[in-house]
Amino acid sequence: MGELIVEPIEPYGLNISSVKKNKPMFSKIGVVGAGKDGRAIINLTASAGMEVVFMEDSQEQIDIVMNKLSKNLDYKIENWGLTQSEKRGIINRIIPTLDYETFKGCDLVIESTRYSESGRRNLLLRKNIFKKLENILEPTAIIATNSSTVIISELATDLEHKERCMSIYFPVVHPDARILELVNGMYTSEEVYSKMEIFAKLIGYIPHKVSESNGNVSLRIFTLMLNEACQILLERVTSFKNIEETFSIIYGQRFGVFRTADIVGIERIVTTMESMFNDFGDPKYKPNPLLWKLYRSQQLGVRTGKGFYIYDENGNVAGENKSLY
Amino acid sequence: MKILVLNCGSSSIKYKLYNMEDLSVLAQGGIEKIGLKGSFLKLTLPNDQKVMLEGEILEHRAGIEYIMGVLLSKKYGCIDSLDEIDAIGHRVVHGGEKFNSSVLITDEVIEKVRECIDIAPLHNPPNLKGIDAVKELMPGKPQVAVFDTAFHQTMPDYAYMYGLPYSLYEKYGIRRYGFHGTSHRYVSKRACEFLNVPYESQRIITAHIGNGGSVTAVKNGKSIDTSMGMTPVEGLMMGTRSGDVDPGVITFLMDKEHLGSRGVSLLLNKFSGVLGISGVSSDMRELETAIDQNNERAILALKMYNYRIKKYVGSYTAALGGLDILVFTGGVGENQSSTREYVCKNMEYMGIELDEELNASVRSKEVIISKPTSKVKVVIIPTDEELTIARDTMEILQNKE
Repeated sequence: MGELIVEPIEPYGLNISSVKKNKPMFSKIGVVGAGKDGRAIINLTASAGMEVVFMEDSQEQIDIVMNKLSKNLDYKIENWGLTQSEKRGIINRIIPTLDYETFKGCDLVIESTRYSESGRRNLLLRKNIFKKLENILEPTAIIATNSSTVIISELATDLEHKERCMSIYFPVVHPDARILELVNGMYTSEEVYSKMEIFAKLIGYIPHKVSESNGNVSLRIFTLMLNEACQILLERVTSFKNIEETFSIIYGQRFGVFRTADIVGIERIVTTMESMFNDFGDPKYKPNPLLWKLYRSQQLGVRTGKGFYIYDENGNVAGENKSLY
Repeated sequence: MKILVLNCGSSSIKYKLYNMEDLSVLAQGGIEKIGLKGSFLKLTLPNDQKVMLEGEILEHRAGIEYIMGVLLSKKYGCIDSLDEIDAIGHRVVHGGEKFNSSVLITDEVIEKVRECIDIAPLHNPPNLKGIDAVKELMPGKPQVAVFDTAFHQTMPDYAYMYGLPYSLYEKYGIRRYGFHGTSHRYVSKRACEFLNVPYESQRIITAHIGNGGSVTAVKNGKSIDTSMGMTPVEGLMMGTRSGDVDPGVITFLMDKEHLGSRGVSLLLNKFSGVLGISGVSSDMRELETAIDQNNERAILALKMYNYRIKKYVGSYTAALGGLDILVFTGGVGENQSSTREYVCKNMEYMGIELDEELNASVRSKEVIISKPTSKVKVVIIPTDEELTIARDTMEILQNKE
């Protein structure tokens, strides 16, 4: 028996099939910025078998991100969610870069720049990223931003192919929260939307079509409940623990309302609520003083180790944050 | 008559083309990583030369199209026209209670297989994709479905029911179905031919053991019990599957480790069994290397693996009211003499006398490994699921005509 013969398969196609043999959609995607949300996106897409290019500012940042990604997968292995060989496969599909050129050939690039400590994201920077991506990518490639506020039409304005821009929001509350909010901007084409629906399904998410509106659906519902919970706490109607239990036990939530807020991130909640207040004008959207207190003191939740709760270095709850009220 | 056998998995397709006149294999190979990066079609030529064809294979239809293309090609092919293929036989994993034998595929059959998706969410959808693809690529060509569960449909109700509320059986069809049916059927029947005894009056235990594994009790040619249940996780300890576990352990773990249904499923199917115990590997060869190095957990894993098989052989002998033939098949059953030896050790009281020397020296061929004095005949019968599928397909085709 001779050595293994290796050949390309294409000459053996019969062209009976009505489906064109294009390269698979979303075989390579990109992520700009690998903060908590960016990493969640990298993790999900690489786990779904996609090749994922992510960009960071420095090699040092890249190392940190790769380390965190690896740790996250180890955590899954420890919790019976993944096997070692699956992890190797996933890590192999992740390509870090410092250069926009690497995004060439991506079908989709998601801008996911970090929130600064103030909870703001730099609009000029993001516009610039969109512009640079447009220069590198094919005209049919989709450029998306990960966002829960109204932004996509503004980000798309300066682009030549505005119809390819779309806003998406990954709820990061827990791994089974597998709904992807797909937000059409003013220019987004139906074709782009339907492609993103396929993207959602490929990563095992249920796509929800959402019209551009601050807070989308998931955050708008949640922030109002959280605001009311803060008010109940301030009025001393009942204890912190009781409010948590009411939310989790009566309404069947995985975590209490305050714990959930810490996971979502106080900066995201406060800025989204501000945007909603500005847009809708109703005072019910004004962030409760407790939220402002946390926000101003940079106690932003799990990410900073302090929020409604205090967390250890592994992100586990170490106790309530008693200094709050 | 030429019959193509297809086994469509979630990201793979295995195929074999048979010439039914002399049961020779005209072509065989498989596609892996469908829809993933790095997909390929690997085939073995009649001279054993292996060929790998690399390229994008996005879905099952494209994969089957490439298989047809290879079969037709001048370079690696063996047919001039697709018309030469008389029929296609598909392995279908779950036939539920709807199928107790192989059937000609009609729209009604497809609909019923679809209804079984609920209880076989991982397996039946790719099987259906394969059927649909052939329907589109070779319109009007007869296709036959051969079910993994069909052979076990003869189990009596007291063997297939779980001690759970009866309403759950009515509501969801929760019961034991068993798997590897095509293999158990083939080797039990083949063993009788080989031993020249009537299939219809034998008490047989077939141990299909490999990375997955199940033991079946066959009485008078009918399966009366099998170790796998509604899903393949019940029964023997396997490469990465736990086999029988007290369900109380699972609810305990769900609380302690905050596991959801996916976590439990992965735990029981991917992290348990030989791999979970040994911490080394689910592969028996790697396990043996570790055992040679005196790795205690590897030794424990093998002991547990073997012990579970023995336990099932004992209990099925009771269920059968005695035993005439014990069959070993599957990767481990055909090749690993130490497992066969352990299972048969100290079983003289029930008529099993293994020829240890012979047992240690044979693998992967039809052979009697018990002593001539042994009341129970212990045999190795290499399984051939594809051939069984091809034969079923031919039979159904001939009856149709």
